[in-house]
Amino acid sequence: MPGAWLLADAKDPHRNGVLKTMTHILLRNRDIADIWQFDTYVANGGYDALKRAVNDLSPDEVIQIVSAANLRGRGGAGFPTGRKWSFIPKDAPVKYVTVNADESEPGTFKDRELLEKNPHQVIEGALIAAYAIQATAVYIYCRGEFWDLALALEERIEEARQANLAGEDILGSGWSCPVYVHLGAGAYICGEESALLNSVQGVLGQPRVRPPFPAQVGGGLYYAPTVVNNVETLANAPWIILNGADAYKAIGTPESPGPKIFCMSGHVERPGNYELPLGITFRELIYDQAGGIPNGKKLKGILPSGASGPVLRATEEVLDAPLTYESVAALGSTLGSASFILMDEDTDMVWAAAKMTHFFRHESCGKCTPCREGTYWLDTIYERILRGEGTARDLELLEKVPQQIMGLVLCALGDFACNPVLSTVRQFRDEYEQYIGLAEPVAAEA
Amino acid sequence: MNLVRGFVTTFKHVLEGPVTIQYPEQERPLRERFKGRHALKRYDNGLEKCIGCALCAAACPADAIWVEAAENTDEERYSPGERYAKTYEINMLRCIFCGYCEDACPTEAIVLEHEYRLSFSDRRDAIYVKAMLLDPLPPGVEGTPRRTEPGQFTRSIPVMENPK
Amino acid sequence: MTETITIIIDGQDYQVPRGMNLVDAAKMHGVDIPVFCHHPKLEPVGMCRMCLVELGSLAVNRETGQPERDENGQPVVRWFPKLQTACTQEASPGMAVRTDSAAVAQARYNVLEFLLTSHPLDCPICDKGGECPLQELTMAYGPGQSRFIYDDKMHLAKQIPLGDLICLDRERCIQCARCIRFCDEIVGDEVLAFHERGRRLQIITISDPPFDTKFSGNTTDICPVGALTTVDFRFGARPWELDEVASICPHCPVGCNISASTRLDRDFGGRKMIKRIMPRQNEAVNEIWICDKGRFGHHHSRSEERLTQPMIRRDEEWVPITWETAYREIAAQLARHGRESGFLAGASLSNEDLWELRKLARLTHADCSLGVWPATMGGIEQVTQVGVGVGTRLQDLGPDSAILVIASDLDEEAPIWWLQVKQAADRGAKVVAANGRATKLDQYATVALRYPYGEAVAALNSFAVIARRSNAIDEAFVAARAEGFAEFDASLKGARVPKPYAEAAQALLGAKDLVVFVGGEGVTLAQHGELMQAAANLLILTGHAGRANNGLIPVWPGANMQGALDMGFGPQATHDLIAQRPAMWIIAEADPVAEDARMAEVLVGAEFVALATQFMTPTAEKAHVLLPVQSFAEREGTFTNGLRRVQRFYMAQTPLEGTLPAWKVFAHISSSMPGGAKPRIAPGLVMRDITQHVLRYAEMSYPNLAHVEPQFPLVGGEDMYYGGTAYSNHGGLGVQWATNAEKEKYSLAVRPVDVARPRLDGLAVVPVRLLYDREPLFAPSSIMHQRVPAPYVELNVRDAEALGIAEGDAVMLTADDVQMAAEARVNSHAPAGTVLVPQRLGATPIPATLVECVVQKMEG
Repeated sequence: MPGAWLLADAKDPHRNGVLKTMTHILLRNRDIADIWQFDTYVANGGYDALKRAVNDLSPDEVIQIVSAANLRGRGGAGFPTGRKWSFIPKDAPVKYVTVNADESEPGTFKDRELLEKNPHQVIEGALIAAYAIQATAVYIYCRGEFWDLALALEERIEEARQANLAGEDILGSGWSCPVYVHLGAGAYICGEESALLNSVQGVLGQPRVRPPFPAQVGGGLYYAPTVVNNVETLANAPWIILNGADAYKAIGTPESPGPKIFCMSGHVERPGNYELPLGITFRELIYDQAGGIPNGKKLKGILPSGASGPVLRATEEVLDAPLTYESVAALGSTLGSASFILMDEDTDMVWAAAKMTHFFRHESCGKCTPCREGTYWLDTIYERILRGEGTARDLELLEKVPQQIMGLVLCALGDFACNPVLSTVRQFRDEYEQYIGLAEPVAAEA
Repeated sequence: MNLVRGFVTTFKHVLEGPVTIQYPEQERPLRERFKGRHALKRYDNGLEKCIGCALCAAACPADAIWVEAAENTDEERYSPGERYAKTYEINMLRCIFCGYCEDACPTEAIVLEHEYRLSFSDRRDAIYVKAMLLDPLPPGVEGTPRRTEPGQFTRSIPVMENPK
Repeated sequence: MTETITIIIDGQDYQVPRGMNLVDAAKMHGVDIPVFCHHPKLEPVGMCRMCLVELGSLAVNRETGQPERDENGQPVVRWFPKLQTACTQEASPGMAVRTDSAAVAQARYNVLEFLLTSHPLDCPICDKGGECPLQELTMAYGPGQSRFIYDDKMHLAKQIPLGDLICLDRERCIQCARCIRFCDEIVGDEVLAFHERGRRLQIITISDPPFDTKFSGNTTDICPVGALTTVDFRFGARPWELDEVASICPHCPVGCNISASTRLDRDFGGRKMIKRIMPRQNEAVNEIWICDKGRFGHHHSRSEERLTQPMIRRDEEWVPITWETAYREIAAQLARHGRESGFLAGASLSNEDLWELRKLARLTHADCSLGVWPATMGGIEQVTQVGVGVGTRLQDLGPDSAILVIASDLDEEAPIWWLQVKQAADRGAKVVAANGRATKLDQYATVALRYPYGEAVAALNSFAVIARRSNAIDEAFVAARAEGFAEFDASLKGARVPKPYAEAAQALLGAKDLVVFVGGEGVTLAQHGELMQAAANLLILTGHAGRANNGLIPVWPGANMQGALDMGFGPQATHDLIAQRPAMWIIAEADPVAEDARMAEVLVGAEFVALATQFMTPTAEKAHVLLPVQSFAEREGTFTNGLRRVQRFYMAQTPLEGTLPAWKVFAHISSSMPGGAKPRIAPGLVMRDITQHVLRYAEMSYPNLAHVEPQFPLVGGEDMYYGGTAYSNHGGLGVQWATNAEKEKYSLAVRPVDVARPRLDGLAVVPVRLLYDREPLFAPSSIMHQRVPAPYVELNVRDAEALGIAEGDAVMLTADDVQMAAEARVNSHAPAGTVLVPQRLGATPIPATLVECVVQKMEG
């Protein structure tokens, strides 16, 4: 219920007392045990939003409401969803909604819970988006490892179809929109929207040159205009339609309204998903909600958006900063998909950065030169440093090579790959220097 | 006075030994960097260093070198890489012994050695073919071509050194 | 032409066509934007990041709509914050580019350093070394030193055979995907693909047999590194040792411009030989592509089997004679037989050869027949009237064009035309592929029309009927130019048109441009004349004649059939000769005995047969005097292609000792005859004679033919972004002769055609042409042998069942006097009631078109 939610107040986002009493908008499975079942979902107001949209609202009105709510994309970039929908040309005969369920950012596991435990809300959200742009089909692109989930999801879609909520002539409106599940083959890059579209089309999962953008003719799925939205983004849509933009904007901060699922992992007492309004502080999230750092250790580093965002050193300034897209960016990182990987004082940051670099080398699609060669190069440097053979030249390269990648690549993966390297080299240089020292001859004790 | 000085100089030289030597009975010692007739080098294992790249021919200002390349196989291997010189000829009448070929060689296969006794009674004899240029095999080593194990030589050229 | 706009490159204003790719637009004005993945013939992908530039647009004042200016009066440019790939940009008004800034230089430096981290640096042995874009661009923009530790280099497999013609080196590959994109976008054969990802991303072939395309060699040209090399040339020479000699492919009527890369070679006795064949840019002919037959089919010119000595048959023994003796002998025989002499010219003779042969014939007797071989296609009258207009470029055919291909399997007969038609279809041109069987073009055709063999003329005629009925006739053109329209129009009335024909016709009508390719498959010579006329009727009726990109293109057999017809040789004369059985024959560069069962007997019956040939062919075995003539590679000359473009080829290879160019041989024989003139000393002078006597060749002097003009896109220049050093055309673009339709003074004849269908009983033979066969000019290229199938015939499943023949059975095909053994292929490719018999696969002649045959399973 909206009343139970923390109301936004940018000036004073510290409302610990209220936070504890909130219920869930997205993770409703936490409140209602078997909401994954169609009947339970419907009994709890499920698909009312879709019915309202299809029966009472025009597609433009739906876009208007979502725009007014300032729902920002939860996949990482935080792009306003309503605007994304409004880019779709109205006169295109074929249009698609593609749900990005290729949740492969390290430390992210929110979409999985949504699809597993509250799948109808995602389907409903996708159909609302489809209605808003008058799409001819919805594709839910699941990462390859979600095969079990994809099978279950197909059953859920069938339930919705049988209730005339998906498929032909939805709710007697004359608008038809089948929903399909597409299983990827397991590639991080397929979470990038244009690579995802390629993957759905059955071609190699590599990003496309933009423009044309997915919303434009020639840029989307099968080259038709396409909206690509994250699972969590779409799960917000039903609530917004039912409760209105103002109620939604009352949650969180004006620039970053609404609830957000924070995925907590790493050195944290209670790992897991936390649905909280945007605008709470790092400290509230980490210490009050997730129970702080185990064994009374100190927090050293925070990865606020999985492996792809820069590491933040856990200073007091950082801990007191609110979690909004803007404020995290101001700290020099990104909120991204809000997948927090916490690292305590005993963590070897060089090792951590090496792991992340290895991940990006493994996941680089190889299409464009700087990312393909650069991630390989960085990884070989880390391997050498971890072997204890690193030199000062290697440390210098770790600063220089990323600069040859950032901004010169086709998609964001190349930039992501540089973040852990640059941020750790800059903020934890002392640890690198300890490794570099290993190669130097040890001076004999005097 | 000047006359006397002149005679002094003359007598000084009369007393010095002759500059000329009696070649071929006598031979002048060669400097280490003397550039004489070319040799095509082998590795210690007897394989030829030359990979038939023809960069020597390209570098040659006198157009004295002629190279034709072919592909090694494991059944018939001449050099460690993919390619070897099927034909390698140097026309010694054209050669000006500048050593550019040596500089151009990426595998240090061609070296200008100390042999300088080159004389021919027939112009055709001045063309040194590969068999004449190749170094003799080290003792106890199999010659080329030879049969090698598959997978033993997989690089296209012998591995080069690290840039240091 | 497209609108011209102004863009700013490095502070300078340049005029470029709107929408042109920015890299090409800059290059047009001499500004280099280096690229690896981009190629002007392919869609941009922006992968290699080499072409990063600073991009911006002129700031426009919102209120006034005028460009904003700074205090110095210079236009204000709003720059993108990040560098952009130039290859993915299209020139648009107000676009501003900086290619010379420090950021751009740094970006190029970075990309090259990255590329070289994985590169094996084996340039000394790499076939591309010396003409390698990666080498060139590294020298121009790259680092002199690498910060990458050499030991960290990823080692990958080398020398991977990608099919039997192309070799892949995985270490050298820079993953630009040009090869994959060429196969997918241009050819449409999905044979290559990427495998794996990241640094392990690699090229694989996904077809079986591997790299199964007729255009595989082109990938080695556009490969910007030495990752793809041809097995044929492997380690053959270093590029700087090669002399590029302009030539023309001798294998098919497309007349692809090729460049023979030549060098002195021990393998050829220290003489100059062709080491490889590369495409030469001619945007009006082959653009920058050639097929694998043209690329790898050059070995005949230095084959060990070549004849190098004039010989005379004495007591069934070949006795060497001097050229002089041969000339005198032949001259004496010609004088003796006079009008009882027949002349037969093959389709690979040059125009100069043909002219001198014709002169010799005329000197012998004014009535001597000038036959052409093969004598399966006629229709020079129709080509003279409505052949495609001067300036035709198949690459200009697009959304408002229509193309009809009838009675031809273009893919096998003229691969580059097939490629261009396919690409036109991709661009939106309407393509009708009409034949008696399915061909590869069908999958790209708007309508794939199947007619029963024998009904080609009726099918094509019905197009005219439909054009008439749907008022698609260009009344003004018909009124002004057509002759005999009333009679023709009357013949169209009441004609019954089956629905498929009508649908196919509808697909063609209404297009701005119409090109009709007419082949000879399943058509007898008599029918072929009617088929050509039916095509001419359609073109004249719809006004698609007399301008560029409109008209008739005959798919001739051989490289210079057009030239032979232009020089007055003809197929009907050949049939007349066979019927008349003259006592004396002069045959040049043709092998009729191997192709026609009657010819052996005809020649055995003749008193004297002189044959100019390169090889000891079955025809040579029936001849009395053999004249060893030179291949296209050893001499100069001209071929006229199917678009009537006369093109020069130059001497690429040291001639084999003892051989002479055919024109010289004929000229010498002439000079040995009473009244014969002294031979010309050079083919250019022979061509001068031609220009003075053959009206349509009046403009074809050697200097005219050698004329070159800048062509777009710019490839093959000094910068070498696009690979293929031999692309530069210094040999000439050739000249097309104008048809009557292009000259107002001529009227164009339309006439009713004979649509009668021959009565076919039982199984009818349909000879088909294969690209890879065993014709004498191709057989010596042993690298291609695995692509040439054993002799086979194709039978329809139903016919095969009735005959008890199964796939793979050895069968004996009997027709008229022909008996040929072959393997049976049973499928639905051959229509019921027909047997498809590929030409020139075996040593025995195959039956003629549409004759009845019996196919029997051979026991044992």
